[in-house]
Amino acid sequence: MISNAKMQMRDREFALISGLLAISAVLMYLFPSFAVENSAGQIDWITLPLVAFPLIAGTVLMAFASMQPYRLKDRIGQPIKLISLAFALMMLGISSGLLFGWLESINWDLSQYNRYELDFEYAWIQSIGVSWHVGLDGLSFSMVWLTTVLIPIVMITTWEEKIGWYHHPLILMMGGALIGVFVALDFFMFFVFWEMTLIPMFFLILKWGGDDRRYAAQKFFIYTFTGSVVMLLGIITLYFLQPSSQALVDQGVLTGRTFDMTQMAIGAQAAANADIAWLGIDMQKALFLMFLLGFLVKLPAVPFHTWLPDAHVQAPTAGSMLLAGVMLKMGGYGLFRVCATLFPEALLEYQWLLLTIGMVSLVYGSFVCLGQTNLKRLVAFSSVSHMGIILLGIATMEPLGFAGAIFMMFAHGIISPLLFAVAGAFKHHYHTLEIGSMRGMAKHSPWLATFMMFGWMASLGLPLLAGFVAEITVLIAFWKAFGWWVILPGITLIVTAAYYLWSMQKTIFEGGDDGEMPESLGGAPAPDISLWEVSGMMLLAMLTVLFGVLPWIFFDMMTGYAYGLFDGILLNVITGGA
Amino acid sequence: MVSAIDYALWIPVLPIVAFPIILFLGNVFKGMPAWRGRWKEGGTIATIVIGTCLGLSIWLIVGYIGQVTGNESVGQIGDWLSFHMVENGNLVSYSLGFGMYLDHVSVMLLFVASFLCFLIAIFSLGYMNSDPVNLDRNHRFYAEFLLFCAGMLGMVLADNFLWLFIFWEIMGLCSYLLIGFYYERPSASYAAKKAFLTTRVGDIFLLIGLLILWNLFGSLDFSVVWAEDNIAAVDAGTLKIALFMMFVGAVGKSAQFPLHVWLPDAMEGPTPVSALIHAATMVNAGLYLVARMFPFFASPAMAGEFTDLAMLIAWIGGITAFMAALIAFVQMDIKKVLAYSTMSQLAYIFTGLGAALWFANTGHEEIALLAFGASMFHLFNHAMAKGMLFMASGSVIHEMHHVHHEVAHHDSGESAAGNAAGGDHDGGQGGGDDHDHFDAQDMSNMGGLASKMPITATAMAVGSASIIGIPLIGGFWSKEGIIGAAWKASLTSGGAWMLGPALLLLITAGMTGFYMSRMWFMTFAGKPNTPVANGVVEQTPFIPIPLITLTVVTLGGIVFAGFEFVHWVADGHAEMHFTHVLSGIGSEMKHAFLPSGEENGALIFLVTMLTIVISTIVGPATAMALYGGRLQKGEKAKPWLAWLVSLSSRVRRNNHFDNSIWANSGLADSLHQRLHFDAWYDAAMLKIVVPFANACAWFDQHIIDGAIKGIEYGSQEGSSVIRRLTTGSGRDYIMMVALGTLAIFVLIWGVA
Repeated sequence: MISNAKMQMRDREFALISGLLAISAVLMYLFPSFAVENSAGQIDWITLPLVAFPLIAGTVLMAFASMQPYRLKDRIGQPIKLISLAFALMMLGISSGLLFGWLESINWDLSQYNRYELDFEYAWIQSIGVSWHVGLDGLSFSMVWLTTVLIPIVMITTWEEKIGWYHHPLILMMGGALIGVFVALDFFMFFVFWEMTLIPMFFLILKWGGDDRRYAAQKFFIYTFTGSVVMLLGIITLYFLQPSSQALVDQGVLTGRTFDMTQMAIGAQAAANADIAWLGIDMQKALFLMFLLGFLVKLPAVPFHTWLPDAHVQAPTAGSMLLAGVMLKMGGYGLFRVCATLFPEALLEYQWLLLTIGMVSLVYGSFVCLGQTNLKRLVAFSSVSHMGIILLGIATMEPLGFAGAIFMMFAHGIISPLLFAVAGAFKHHYHTLEIGSMRGMAKHSPWLATFMMFGWMASLGLPLLAGFVAEITVLIAFWKAFGWWVILPGITLIVTAAYYLWSMQKTIFEGGDDGEMPESLGGAPAPDISLWEVSGMMLLAMLTVLFGVLPWIFFDMMTGYAYGLFDGILLNVITGGA
Repeated sequence: MVSAIDYALWIPVLPIVAFPIILFLGNVFKGMPAWRGRWKEGGTIATIVIGTCLGLSIWLIVGYIGQVTGNESVGQIGDWLSFHMVENGNLVSYSLGFGMYLDHVSVMLLFVASFLCFLIAIFSLGYMNSDPVNLDRNHRFYAEFLLFCAGMLGMVLADNFLWLFIFWEIMGLCSYLLIGFYYERPSASYAAKKAFLTTRVGDIFLLIGLLILWNLFGSLDFSVVWAEDNIAAVDAGTLKIALFMMFVGAVGKSAQFPLHVWLPDAMEGPTPVSALIHAATMVNAGLYLVARMFPFFASPAMAGEFTDLAMLIAWIGGITAFMAALIAFVQMDIKKVLAYSTMSQLAYIFTGLGAALWFANTGHEEIALLAFGASMFHLFNHAMAKGMLFMASGSVIHEMHHVHHEVAHHDSGESAAGNAAGGDHDGGQGGGDDHDHFDAQDMSNMGGLASKMPITATAMAVGSASIIGIPLIGGFWSKEGIIGAAWKASLTSGGAWMLGPALLLLITAGMTGFYMSRMWFMTFAGKPNTPVANGVVEQTPFIPIPLITLTVVTLGGIVFAGFEFVHWVADGHAEMHFTHVLSGIGSEMKHAFLPSGEENGALIFLVTMLTIVISTIVGPATAMALYGGRLQKGEKAKPWLAWLVSLSSRVRRNNHFDNSIWANSGLADSLHQRLHFDAWYDAAMLKIVVPFANACAWFDQHIIDGAIKGIEYGSQEGSSVIRRLTTGSGRDYIMMVALGTLAIFVLIWGVA
């Protein structure tokens, strides 16, 4: 099983690593003493350790490695991967520390509208009202924790990926950029990080992708970028629509306007309390649609989803895992952070639109899945289908539906990387992705078969695994909101089971006593997955069970967030409209 | 003081925890002699774990019976999910909790599940570990077996419908894994998929039913939804829909018409799995769910509202009972006969529950409780008998397989047992091939085993007698109650529609007598049909233990009846005490044979007698006439079986009748095709769903992505068109500048 992990290192490299690790340990130890504190006396754990370090470290490591002479590059791969992993683990340590209250005493379950448990603001481009404003609440923290836990797991799973000195720092950068999106409380920052996530992903696909990677990478980049451009127009419109404030002009902001989401949210809440639509209902609807387009492309929802299967099929394992695990969640996150927070009236107006798109994604996506013969395309479309549930959860306009949708993002963020790790390993070991090209995987790759079955079962919503919690909560809210329309998600659950079971029957099962090998192997034996892959998948599987059995670890936080959102603004809008 | 309820949580948790441990150990130690030997590839762990569960269950049950009040005890442990909903413009907080709920029904099922799981675990030690096919993968069996047990035990203990559903689904997963245990066989993987998908269809109904229920009550806790005040406050029509949806879930899980197709195929799993699914766990889950609907029907606020639903439940039961018995007539596979028998017997319980619910809903509380008790008692009797029958059939199959293996190896000189007869390879082609044409489960390959496998034959006879309802043995007591209840309902005013199921059940009783006897005589009477059957001996260790235990339990049905089991399980108020056993038996006997003093007493008496006659005499006698026969010369069965064998041969000699007209009829053909349900479902899947899915995939690739590709292509084309304007020649550029300037002037002029 352990396929020679090439763990031998030279003394010099060993010294280099231990030195760097020691330095980072000392830095970490000293960090609280030189870190910046906000007015509440909290240390800024976000800006430097979670966003800046991974971005800087990734860039530096890549630059350092690429400057080495060619013959050394293979040898520095191992230490660079280890350093990347160390950084990733450090980030995981910090986010877990925040979760369990080791670093700051925070009760994540008690959210309020527009209040952030950690909140840090620094002036950035003052003349146009841009600030570096980062914060964490029940919504963003679950996503940040998800990112920090996924990054090391992705690194472990793809430890043996070629050109590791380039690959792992890219993943690290990806982590920094993703966390940047989730912690940003300033539209300018938000957009910068939103676009920044495209860059590492673009190179991951381009460099390690399949045969048609050029097309896929360009399609991925241009498609999502187009969606983002509309969102950018929305951001600029929003910026100029808000009234100019003399107080800001006095502070040196030339336009008297700000990109700060929290400032806008104050305005939105004040308007809602006064029973008027913030910025006017028509403008709000236009803005809502602009943002929605950007988020729907990212999510992705039918009919803006076709970049996803192409990108996934061509992307390497790490790319797929991060793409499905975290990048898609940016869309759902944006819907909450921007659309639900700032445009509640428009959200209520367009409830039907979210419902329609969500339902189409869910049902249509599942049927498309059933028609796929390519394993990665199947899993990609299952993502489209599951993302529909997020839209449905929002469309219910119930706190439970919101919490369920956020939990869906979280659960899918754990489960889908497992699915793509399995699909990637499948490709790696059988040199094909066609379902039905081989049989009897349980015979010749028992570990891969085990994780495939686990992942597939988790994804079809088996109880005591994370996905079920999301589905049941969204469905409870859905029944209350829309009644018998629940039949459509019900049918989808059956179809989902059908396509997963069918694909397992044609891969894991059958094949007689010796199993059947795919032609693409040309008669060569198929080895089982490596220890690295087993470890990565095992960790994901354990997380799936953990959050399936003890969902309240994060669900309470999401309930709290949803409560804050409704209590703060949405309830006013709903009852005001009624 | 330490009480059992504090440890009750461990009953489902222990096996769940053991599940990954056995899997892990098995993967690590696979193939090592000690692991195969002493540890039985995880079997030892599984037996210990499930034995502990049984011990805890008995502790719990004894403590529970000791409570004279017989009230339910609830152990709410905590909130699982807490959340808010918008109610009338306010945010109201709710939660879904988890905890344990014990009453007479759950205690009974807890015992059935843990007791049978324990016996099946012991059986598996013999059955699974001595078959070379299973070598080095038994750990998978034991791990999944434990998870299955955990699913059932957890479901029974759950204190709300959500956790009931969660464990319900866990069982669905395990049935998938275990039916597909021999994953390399296409038939097994197909059967596993079919079982999961069919029950999944039911599960979705159940899920929607639970959503409705939650919306009605704002909770899924038994203690909340069963509270009289809460039931009175909800809309009866909506509640009926919810109950209907939940019932469909039960139909799927308990393999009732029309979601019954998965169960016969489930025989692809190893035999202990069949015993597990059909006796101890999965199929009982659906019955348990329907039994849990009783408080809704019994609520005075809902009186008369759900009669049609109760009628539907009874009808589904009646139809399934009849249909399954009919199909069982033509089955040649010993396990398939038992599978259809399971379906049919479960249908009895459904009808019984339907009648009980009907009575409850029409205000006949006392008789409703009796019918309910009889149904639950039948569940108990059926579980014990069917568990034994499956294990006995497993014993037959195992020994047949074993001997066949040796016969096939005879030529190559491998250790041939002395009693393996001759070198005649009937159908067996190659030496070491376990999957040749010989079918160790086909009854036409058996025959005359009564003398060779005395324990198995006895167990099979007692089990069959219990299923048939031979007087005084296990199932008799409960089956009479169910049929009587159905008839009583049909005679009560407003219950005329119950006549259908009542008649069907009566006919089915005779049919049961036929097909169960047919199975027994084909297997154990007559002369051995093949050399393999001739060479069979009972020699596998562990297998006799559960068989003997269950024989005793089944024969002891009369004692359970004397304990007033029926009354106890119905409302928990009967006195379970040894001093009352004899008088209890007396009253039960009188009740069963001489029902009088009731309304329509004469007719019920007639029905009872008719049932006894057709199930005990007509059915078995027909089977004897067709399939009976003397044993081979020199063979002698045990005295308690010998009379049966010689009776059968005498009946056959005296009444030899020809059934070839029936056997070659179109009906028999349809029965072989399982009345075409499987074909229709497959066709619906292949002709409608799959083409639709392919059309969707095509649409996605060519229309939606085609549009995107069109934009890509269009923009590339467009840019190359525009590129043609940049000719590089100065003349063209001057021309364009001139045109542009002109255009600007025109615009300015126009605006001005």
